[in-house]
Amino acid sequence: MKPSRVSAYFILHAKSYMRSRSALFFQIAFPVILILLFGAIFSGSSYSPSTLIVQNESPSAISWEVVDAINSSGLFKVQVIGANQNISDYINSHSIQAALLIPSNFTTNYAYGYGLLILKGHTNPTVASADYQTINGILTQLNFKASNASEKLILSSQVALGNSGKTINFYVPGLIGFTVLSTMFNMVYTVPNYRRERLFRQLSFSGLTKSEWITANMLFSFLMLVLSDIVLVAIGIFVFGASLTLNIETILASALIIFGGLVFFTSVGILAGLVSDNEETVSVVGNLVMFPMMFLSGVFFPLNFAPAYLVTISKFLPLTYFINSLISVLDYGNISAVTLQIVWLLLGSAILFAVAVKLFSWKQK
Amino acid sequence: MTETVISVSNLVKSYSDLKAVDDISFSINKGEVFSLLGPNGAGKTTTVEILEGVRNRTSGDVRVLGQDPERSKSLIYKLGILPQDFSFIYNSTPKEALNFYKRTLRASTDLDEILTMVDLSDKGSTPFQKMSGGQKQKLGLALSMVNDPEILFLDEPTSGLDPRARRNIWNVIKTLKAKGKSILLTTHYLEEAELLADRVAIMNKGEIIDSGTPMEIIERHHEDDRLIIRGDGEVSALLTTGGYKFEREGAYIKINMKNIKDATQIINYLYERKAKFEDFTLKRESLEDVFVRMVGEIEEDEAE
Ligand SMILES: Nc1ncnc2c1ncn2[C@@H]1O[C@H](COP(=O)(O)OP(=O)(O)OP(=O)(O)O)[C@@H](O)[C@H]1O
Ligand SMILES: [Mg+2]
Repeated sequence: MKPSRVSAYFILHAKSYMRSRSALFFQIAFPVILILLFGAIFSGSSYSPSTLIVQNESPSAISWEVVDAINSSGLFKVQVIGANQNISDYINSHSIQAALLIPSNFTTNYAYGYGLLILKGHTNPTVASADYQTINGILTQLNFKASNASEKLILSSQVALGNSGKTINFYVPGLIGFTVLSTMFNMVYTVPNYRRERLFRQLSFSGLTKSEWITANMLFSFLMLVLSDIVLVAIGIFVFGASLTLNIETILASALIIFGGLVFFTSVGILAGLVSDNEETVSVVGNLVMFPMMFLSGVFFPLNFAPAYLVTISKFLPLTYFINSLISVLDYGNISAVTLQIVWLLLGSAILFAVAVKLFSWKQK
Repeated sequence: MTETVISVSNLVKSYSDLKAVDDISFSINKGEVFSLLGPNGAGKTTTVEILEGVRNRTSGDVRVLGQDPERSKSLIYKLGILPQDFSFIYNSTPKEALNFYKRTLRASTDLDEILTMVDLSDKGSTPFQKMSGGQKQKLGLALSMVNDPEILFLDEPTSGLDPRARRNIWNVIKTLKAKGKSILLTTHYLEEAELLADRVAIMNKGEIIDSGTPMEIIERHHEDDRLIIRGDGEVSALLTTGGYKFEREGAYIKINMKNIKDATQIINYLYERKAKFEDFTLKRESLEDVFVRMVGEIEEDEAE
């Protein structure tokens, strides 16, 4: 790997890219149009905090402290229902998205070191669902305030909740996901195109190697992603008043997630590009990979409203984890909840990248 | 002493059951223009790409500047390559492309000079996709010269060019030769090989069927020289009387001669008898005639 060759190709690529209107459109203009569209459609619902039904079966100083903390966060309007009601029936009869149950053994358990709270809703919950993340964030704060370091308040969820992120907050990470996914589409087209035109052969006359080519491509894509994502975040915040958690840690974590996603989807793109050897298969393979991921991973709508089998499918799609991590980091400032997912993303990306480089041959037969 | 820059011995390249290159051997000396001739599918490009290190061979030995192109990583710095069907990134301009090769190959060439040499100086900032076929080809040639290479591989450098552009490329090749570069040139234009090449090898179906200087090949394979006279029936009657064998094709009468001096005799004979003929030409076979017949004969033999 020679940095001088990587930079020479980076420059060549950047200049030709800047001349390509369609590439610029998909990289910059398209996501901007989408966020303006989504922002306009959903901006009305972005401010009202959703109502959280709370049933406290274990009244004590600590349990009420938790309820107070949630209420005073301003993120929920807490409404307490009597301990004699059946919470599941209540959820169903009132069509409620989120309800928090403080079980009767909570206070006792808390004294022993773990106080379990249960979140209930219509469908099966995901760890990254917005309500879960929000409440978890509040509990984390409380845990921090408590003098002993160990986590005492533990949130568990039994049934999923509707996502309060029918707001611009939700779409910013989603559209960042979209920009990363589109780098894959670039590769799906570029690889067969360059092979057909025998451009890899031509490039190899410069001494450039395939890993240098991929590296230069990814560096450039990363630069473009950073630029277009900054634009997205700026529009989200300044035009639609998105409330994102932006600090050094969350920005670095987001960059790491975006980089992991970039490596992952570039590799998928190269592999898909290798499979498709003519014009027609290119778009078939491209669409086959792109569209299910785009629609099922929550880029365009929250999955909490989707039927259970779609949610199951979404669990197998890499973009889902990618977007969940971004939501958790950017919307809730909660990095620890998704550390494992980020590690998986980076690990999976590294493995896939190695496979893609291995299978991607520049030599003629 | 002549220095060998390329040597090929018993080279074979097979694609499943097809032998694209079938046991060929040749060598190229420093400063020589060596031309591979042959009909479509003869195996020229396959041979050249093996020498460039783009393709792996099936068997045989190949040395380029003493190195094995399949393994050497440094060889590329000393080679200039214009592939058949040259193409480039469709949004890049000639200047950007040249700069890229200059950077990666650590060259110090004057790029404007190269653009002028191939007559592309006014297209330096035109995206590749907006250039004509001939202009693209010229860019390919320009790129092959960026690193001031010791050996150039030019695979059909003038195909698809207009006559003026072809002459322009021929001049570039002559300039390169004058600078002492070794050049492997494949072409379909026999006059090009005759004009530029020191030696040629004629390939057919993966084999080299003959090689040598263009003159040697013509000497070896040419048939009788030919006198062509434009004349009417009176002329042919006179020729018959004189005992000359001829063939008529429209207004032309063709007479084959073992010796080119016989022509004077025939013309004198007709002149003395005041025959009315408009003009005459003497024709010696070109490399092209020889080539077409050689390749044609092989096909006929195989058809039998
Ligand atoms: N990748 C490949 N797989 C299978 N056969 C191939 C491949 N590449 C070339 N061939 C075959 O090898 C033979 C020689 O091809 P090659 O390109 O070397 O011919 P050529 O002499 O350069 O012809 P042309 O004058 O048309 O360029 C042809 O029959 C061709 O079909
Ligand atoms: Mg060829």
